[in-house]
Order: sequence, then C-alpha cells, then structure tokens
Amino acid sequence: MNPIVIKPEELLETAKNFQMLYDITAVDETVRTHTHDFTMVYHFLSLKDAEFTCVKVPVANENIEVPSLTSVFKNADWYEREIYDLFGLKFSGHPDLRRILMPESWVGHPLRKTHPARATEMGPYQLPEAKQDYEQGLLRYKPKESGGDYLYLNLGPQHPGTHGVLRLILKMNGEIIEEIIPDIGYHHRGAEKMGERQTWHTYIPYTDRVDYLSGVMNNLAYLLSVEQLAGMQIPPRAQMIRVMLCELFRIASHLVWYGTFVQDIGAMSPVFYMFTDREHILKIIEGITGGRMHPSWFRIGGVAHDLPEGWQQPIQDFLNYFPKRLAEYDSLVMQNIILKARTKGVGAYNTEEAIAWGVTGPGLRATGLGFDLRKAKPYSGYENLEFDIPTAQNGDCYDRAVVRIEEMRQSLRIIEQCMKNMPGGDYKADHPLTTPPNKDRTLVHIETLINHFVNVTWGPVMPAGDSFHAIEASKGTNAYYLVSDGGTHSYRTRIRTPSFPHLQMLPLLAKGATISDLMAILGSIDFVLADLDR
Amino acid sequence: MVWIYCAAVVVVILGMLGGYFLGSQHTEKATRVPYESGIVSTGSARVRFPVHFYLIGLFFVVFDLESIFIYAWSVSMRTLGWNGFVRISVFISVLLVGLVYFLKTGALDIGPKLRKPGETL
Amino acid sequence: MKSESFMFAKLQDLISWGQKNSVWPFNFGLSCCFVEMATSLTSKFDLARFGSEVIRGTPREADVMIVAGTVFVKMAPVVRHLYDQMLEPKWVISMGSCANSGGMYDIYSVVQGVDKILPVDMYVSGCPPRPEAFMEGLLLLKDSIGKERRPISWVAGSQEIIRPEPLNMRELKSPLRMKANLLDEPNRY
Repeated sequence: MNPIVIKPEELLETAKNFQMLYDITAVDETVRTHTHDFTMVYHFLSLKDAEFTCVKVPVANENIEVPSLTSVFKNADWYEREIYDLFGLKFSGHPDLRRILMPESWVGHPLRKTHPARATEMGPYQLPEAKQDYEQGLLRYKPKESGGDYLYLNLGPQHPGTHGVLRLILKMNGEIIEEIIPDIGYHHRGAEKMGERQTWHTYIPYTDRVDYLSGVMNNLAYLLSVEQLAGMQIPPRAQMIRVMLCELFRIASHLVWYGTFVQDIGAMSPVFYMFTDREHILKIIEGITGGRMHPSWFRIGGVAHDLPEGWQQPIQDFLNYFPKRLAEYDSLVMQNIILKARTKGVGAYNTEEAIAWGVTGPGLRATGLGFDLRKAKPYSGYENLEFDIPTAQNGDCYDRAVVRIEEMRQSLRIIEQCMKNMPGGDYKADHPLTTPPNKDRTLVHIETLINHFVNVTWGPVMPAGDSFHAIEASKGTNAYYLVSDGGTHSYRTRIRTPSFPHLQMLPLLAKGATISDLMAILGSIDFVLADLDR
Repeated sequence: MVWIYCAAVVVVILGMLGGYFLGSQHTEKATRVPYESGIVSTGSARVRFPVHFYLIGLFFVVFDLESIFIYAWSVSMRTLGWNGFVRISVFISVLLVGLVYFLKTGALDIGPKLRKPGETL
Repeated sequence: MKSESFMFAKLQDLISWGQKNSVWPFNFGLSCCFVEMATSLTSKFDLARFGSEVIRGTPREADVMIVAGTVFVKMAPVVRHLYDQMLEPKWVISMGSCANSGGMYDIYSVVQGVDKILPVDMYVSGCPPRPEAFMEGLLLLKDSIGKERRPISWVAGSQEIIRPEPLNMRELKSPLRMKANLLDEPNRY
C-alpha cells in the first residue's frame, strides 16, 4: 500500500475523508538516515471495500505538536495518549493528554530509541516501603471535582470480574454508575519494543502471548506481514494447515469467553463444561504442534513441521462431538431467562457508533454490519473455503454472545473442509528467506545448511520497507505494521490489537448502568489484557 | 440442663479466646487498610444515598402498617361483620389510590436507565 | 516430660495436617498462566479434590497466593499491598517463567521475578506450566506445609517458623529420566 505523506497542518482535512480510524502510531527515525525525527503513521479503514489507507505525517522534532484527531474520530483519544506515553509527542487539542500504559512515576518514553529496552540494563527492581507508599499514593484516584455524594469505587487490578489486571474507577451515585475511568497499562509487556530487539524469527513466541487465548492465530497475523515484506508465496498445504489451526484456536478462545461470560452473569456450571471442551481442542493442538496454549508453531514461510500421521481421526472425533455440546449450551445457557434479562438491552450500540469507536469483529457484526476480513479481504486460503458470517441486529450483550456462538459453528465448517480437502505438497515455502528452511534440503545441500545456520542464529534479512497486514482474529481485527530497515531485526513493530478500541468504548456503554450490568458488558466485550496493553 | 448451657458458653468462650491467642500475627502498613482490589481507597464510604432509597423505605413502612391493620381486621372478621368489611374496604381503597398515584408518577421506577443505541447520556 | 513433648508434636502434626489439606488459593491471576490455573480448577484436572476447594476473592481469607503470570512494574506495588493484607499463615507459589524470573520478558516494564518483592515458597516452571505441573507444585507445597513447624501463639513461645529444606525436583527426577529409552515417534499423532 502506498502511504500518503502530508504535513501536520493538512491532517484534519485529510482525515475527514475516511470512514474509520483504524490505528495511530509513530516511528522514531533517529537511529537511521532521516530528515525528520519522528513519523506519525495513521491507518484508516474503509469498510465498504476493506481498503486500508496509510497516511504519514513527518514530525521534525519532539517539540512539534500534531493536531489531535479527537475532534474527527472519537477513538483517537487513547491512541494519542499511548503515543504521548511511549514517544513523548504531544497533540494539540487533546482533552486529557497523560500517560496510559506506563505508571505515572515513570521517567522517559519507552519506545524512543534512547530508552533502554532491557530491565537488566536498568538496575534491579526494588520496592522499599517509601517507594511502595509513593506508588500507591499515585495510584489512588483523585477526583477532579470535589463535593457531591459520589462513592469512588475501585474495580481494581485484582478482581475476578475484569478477567485480568484491569482497573476501572467507578463514580457511583447510589447503585448507578455515573462515570467510569478505565486505567490500563497493568499488563504492559513491551511487546513492541521487544520486536526491535528480536530477529524476525525469534519474535514469533512473543506474538503468541499478545492474545494469549488465540495462540497460533497471532503468529499468523505477524507472519503474513513479514511474508509480505519478503514477497513470499506460501504453498497451499501450509496455508490450509494454518487456517485449520487458527479456526481451532478461534473455537478455543470463544469457549473461554463463553464460560467466563456466563460465570460473571452467575451461572456456575457451564464454565466447567466449556473448559472440558477446550481440553479436547488443546489435545488436538498438542498432538499436532506439541504445545497447549502457546505453540508458536508457525514459521516464516509456512509451519514448523508437517501434520503427523493419523491427524484426521481426532479432528473427526471432535467434529462429531462438539455440535451436540453447542446445542446443549444453547438450551442450558442462552435460553436461560435470567441470562436474557441481564443481557438483553444492556450495553447496546449501533453500527454508526461502532464505526466511530473503531470496533471490529463480533462487536461490529452484532450491530448488523457483516464485515469480516476473511470474506472482505481474504488471506491465507480463506477464499477457497465456504462459510457464513453471522450477524445480529441489536448490538447488545446478548446479540454479541449469539454472534460468537454462531461463529463457533462456522469455524467447525471450516475445519471440516480443511480436513477433507487438505492438499499435498510442501509445508514450507521454497524461498531463501524461509526460516528455518526445509530440513531434508538442509541435510543435503551446503547452501541450504548455511542459510539455515545464518537465519536461525543471526536472523533472516528482510528487505527494507513497510508492511501492513490485518487478519480477523477471534476478538476483532488484528494488524501488524512492520517497518524494516533491511536488517535482521524489525525497526518498528506495531501491533494493532482489537481490544484497545473496544475497551475505549466502555465509559459510553456503562454510563447509567449498575455494576451487575457492567459485569455483563465487560464479559461481552471479550477483551484479553495482553491484547489490550501488549 | 443448666450445665449443658454452661458448657456451651464455656466452649464458645474458649473458641474465641483460642482464635485470638493462637497462631502468629503480623502487621505491615497495608494490613489494616480496607481491601479495595489492591488500591488505597478514595474518599469515605459514608456518603449520602440518593433519596429514592429513602422513599422506598417510607413506602414500605406505610404499606407494612396497612397490612398490620388488615391482619388485625382479618383475625376479628366475623365479629365485625359487614360493617367492618365496609370500613376496611374504604381503608384499603384509600391506600390503593395512593399506590396508583405512585405508579403513575414513577416513584417506584428507580432502576438503571439502560442506554439505547445512538443515545447520548 | 517425654509424653508432654510427644503430645505437643502430635498436636503440631494435627495442626499442620489441617493447614495442609485446606489450602485456599487467592484469586490472583495476572496473565496467561492464569488461564492454565483456571483450567486446573475445572473438572478435568480438578484442584478441589486436593483441598483447594474455594478461591477466595479477598486476601484476608486466602492461604496461598499463586502469582500466575508476569509481574509488571505498574502492578508490583499492588501485589505487595495484597500480600501484606493476607493473614498468617500464608504461602506464595510463583507460577510460570515470568513470575519466577521475568521469563522471556527482559524488558523495561517487567519485574524480573516476583521474588524481588515477595518471599516465595514454591516455584513452578513452564510457559505456561501444564495444569498437571501446577498441581504437582501445589501438592509439593502441601507436603512442605505438612512438615512445617509454626509458632503456636503470638503471645508466648518461640516465634520461629521452621520450614523443611526446599526440594529441587530436577535433581530428584533426574535418575528416573535418565533411564528412559523409549521415546515417541515424532510423526505419529
């Protein structure tokens, strides 16, 4: 895709031509040949034809303030705060520019090239009592207005309902939530900075842990972007193996969502059933890849090994076993009157609001718009598979649940087609940048052996350029924007995760609701903390 | 029978004393702080409640007393005869008018107002 | 005299037996290891049969804090705060590579191991550890709790906690593993 380069002054005018703001990020150019210190990179999405447009705004130095897009797109808020936090670039006209991912007491801007990456470069971490008190004092919420009889409640980092370390500050008037202030960053693992230190090949395990329920699907998002840089064609067998494993992980991720969602609503038994089903899937995954939750099994150019002998039988057993269970869950869970009373009409939004806030995935499809990247812009062999895109009408918690359950059924269809029509052939591309190369060639040809050695130890050298690729992950659309400088490491790895804009919408959805509605809304948004904070 | 009672009291006292004295203790700065998911809390928990909770309590008292009167009448229904029936019907109908007034003015609608799609609150 | 110390030892055994068979975990998952911990509590692996019946949401009622997942710099004061709010007797299991030593995240926002801020009783390694591995860690902790000697009262008596020697499972299992000579074929399911 060819980026449009504009000046900061033209930004607001240019931005008005686009439908959805997909991502805002920045690149610190100071370590390579540059004319300006930073580049602001905007990605916009047009839903009609699934076209991504990249707009670049050069920023000469750190004192220049780019106009904020919050007046045009509502979801620009957190993206710009993240850039301020991690790069130190300010935006003029932003309502509330402060740190979002790092603690308030942090000095420095982590994604700048001058900031150390390793914790071992920064001295051992110590927590004496004075520091503990200071940090806790900073974490304590200070309300802007005083007076009024509001109760400020921390739905804190440690809470079973938030599915991880997310902090929500609730301003309660009696039982009604007047305002929610989400405080994220408790799960920031610096995956983007890690990309600048790892080679293209050794970064794959880090991608697994970004959306930790989807395992191998994250590998696919990253590798499609890398393979686009390298200009590789993936053989059909590798593509179909990838699709099959991705769909198995989609079902596994949706099962965890399903179990925890209904557990938050109050149903105690279904979570055990769903986790047992997930064990069946993990057994298949373990038999094929060797790992349960984080297999890291895809490689640049294909997959790590071929499918083992006898792989079809367990999948056929699962395909026979699972539809009955889904039908049972429909009657056990989805037709339960308490669940319906707690989720129908709760947390509802329409398509226009979803697009304004950057919502993709089941959250968008539940409002009626059938946008799915697997159909709109197919990748990795999805164009040869037959499946439907489930949609619903109301956009409330119940409809999002309905859409995800139907997605599980469609994933079963895809897996069945993959199993029956698996083509023969190579499971890795025949390209010099495939890492590691085909083993039987490695053991015979000296050039392939040298290539294997160099690529695995030093790293494959990807051609210089930018690459952007998005896939339909289980939570929404997941995109990787990679900037390569012609080296073994990425110059900038940007992971656009779906949970970040979804959670930004939470204050809008939960205002005026009670805490029990908030639990239903949090469950139905289906975010994963590592997906949110990376 | 008294000794069983005394034995029970002694057992309970022993249990409470044992619970206090046995085991080890520690006190760090954070130990006695109220638990709020790991963060120090903001503000006091002694805030004034919205007034509709008070209204609900008041309505409960009124209708509860009404039911006590009706109970008193129902116990002595036969003695009071038709005269008493007419009087209690007047009493109930007066309070029924009050209930209809509450329902119409929405005094009992205190639940959350869920946001409809597209609405700005 | 001898019968008194015998009774005392039996009493301590009784107390330790009670403590070790009802180790209630604290609902404290940070990251991906939390999902494997939750899996070990579900019906296929069922941690409840070993006494970890209830997960307590508040630290005051919990016995063991299972630090499952990466300890982040922003989260570290909160972890310490919650640990201080737990009541004696309490234990800490560090689950997963990130909690043991920072794992593969040698990065600015991750504390390199939860033992930088808390005393840890049991380290379970893995990324994430399988539910069976985690259960083994919990069972070993239970054994270790059974062998502990804790002070009877804070009012009188020695306040020292006598812990058993920590085990190194790799050394203990190594002789058995060295004997293995039948390995799976890699290409068969």
